[in-house]
Amino acid sequence: MTIEPITGRYVTVTIDGAPRRIYFEEAGQGRPVLCLHTAGADTRQWRHLMNDAGITASNRLIAFDMPWHGKSLPPEGFETQEYLLTTEAYIETVLAVIDGLGLDRPVLAGCSMGGRIALQLAALHADKFSGFIAIEASDFQPAWYDIDWFHRPDAHGGEMGAALVSANISPYAPKTERWNTLWMFMQSGPGVFRGDLSFYTRDDSLIPRLPTIDTRRTPVHIIVGAYDLTCTPEDAARTAKAIPGATLAVMGELGHFPMSEHPEGFRPFFVEALEKMPRPTAKAA
Amino acid sequence: MIETFKHIQSSLEAMPHLLRLGRLFSETVLIEIDGNEFYLSFEKGHLVSVVEGPSRKTPWRFALRTDADSLNKFWQARPEPGFHDIFGLVKIGRGRIDGDILSLVKNLRFFKEVLTLARAKEELVA
Repeated sequence: MTIEPITGRYVTVTIDGAPRRIYFEEAGQGRPVLCLHTAGADTRQWRHLMNDAGITASNRLIAFDMPWHGKSLPPEGFETQEYLLTTEAYIETVLAVIDGLGLDRPVLAGCSMGGRIALQLAALHADKFSGFIAIEASDFQPAWYDIDWFHRPDAHGGEMGAALVSANISPYAPKTERWNTLWMFMQSGPGVFRGDLSFYTRDDSLIPRLPTIDTRRTPVHIIVGAYDLTCTPEDAARTAKAIPGATLAVMGELGHFPMSEHPEGFRPFFVEALEKMPRPTAKAA
Repeated sequence: MIETFKHIQSSLEAMPHLLRLGRLFSETVLIEIDGNEFYLSFEKGHLVSVVEGPSRKTPWRFALRTDADSLNKFWQARPEPGFHDIFGLVKIGRGRIDGDILSLVKNLRFFKEVLTLARAKEELVA
């Protein structure tokens, strides 16, 4: 029997003037590292790193399910709403969780849409963070598919979404973790993946903000997998080039969900990224 | 190439989970390789016929058009980036998908796993 060191709790924060019950998990101690999941998924993507004693010995990893995702409920009245994530709502949510959990300038590590919002926060709210690890993150990606495919009454959006995103998983990924990664997409609530993709594929507001990011105050390290068709190494390189002082690492054998699809392969790249982030002063939790 | 599709056809019969996934899929798919046509006809998940073209009278639901070199790379155990998925072929400009793409998307896992039955390694890569 194994009981993992990850603990899960709920915090209620105010977003858009209304209370939201947010599920979060954490493991470790020391420097806080807030981890953001990809579109159509949840906190489980981070479980391997949160169970990694070598990382949690000096890093307090915290991950939360965005509203509508995982164990975080959608807002009251969701049954008549169309879920469409926006940059503004995403930023408000991340900042509300930081305040709600009392995190002192955490490192922000986000993957895919989480990486995109990490770069937005680097541009707009850098004072709240000590550094940014943007994984499979780029300035903007228009959809190479129709996002409406994933929310329709005559087919299962989750299964279709999983089949689509499997294109972004490396053939080097262990079979078990490939399918665990896809399972989260299969479980995604109706319209949620589509609503996340609306943010990811339609909002290009980050592009002019990239040159304003001050990496002398808050470093930005971008990591990208060679098998990522959505955010390619070329996309990530273009993005890194637009941020003065940003650094880039390309993972030759990984895809779009590295911490979930191939945790062993991702680990050294994440450790390297953490080493690039400043150590906080003693007042950090 | 026709032998490869025949191999897929026989291999599919030994994959009960794929036959279950494809149980609502009864369509003809055109695979065009270097301009040569292959019509794969499915009936309730079974690949009932593989017919080499050209044909102007065979209706098809959707088509994957690519080249033999790309498919050979696609069928490697661990393809290089871009050759690891049919949408990768499209992304790198080595493939085109047209026709009723929604039909493909509704049956995407099934179709992708059927195509990878010819992959060098036994392990399925969706």
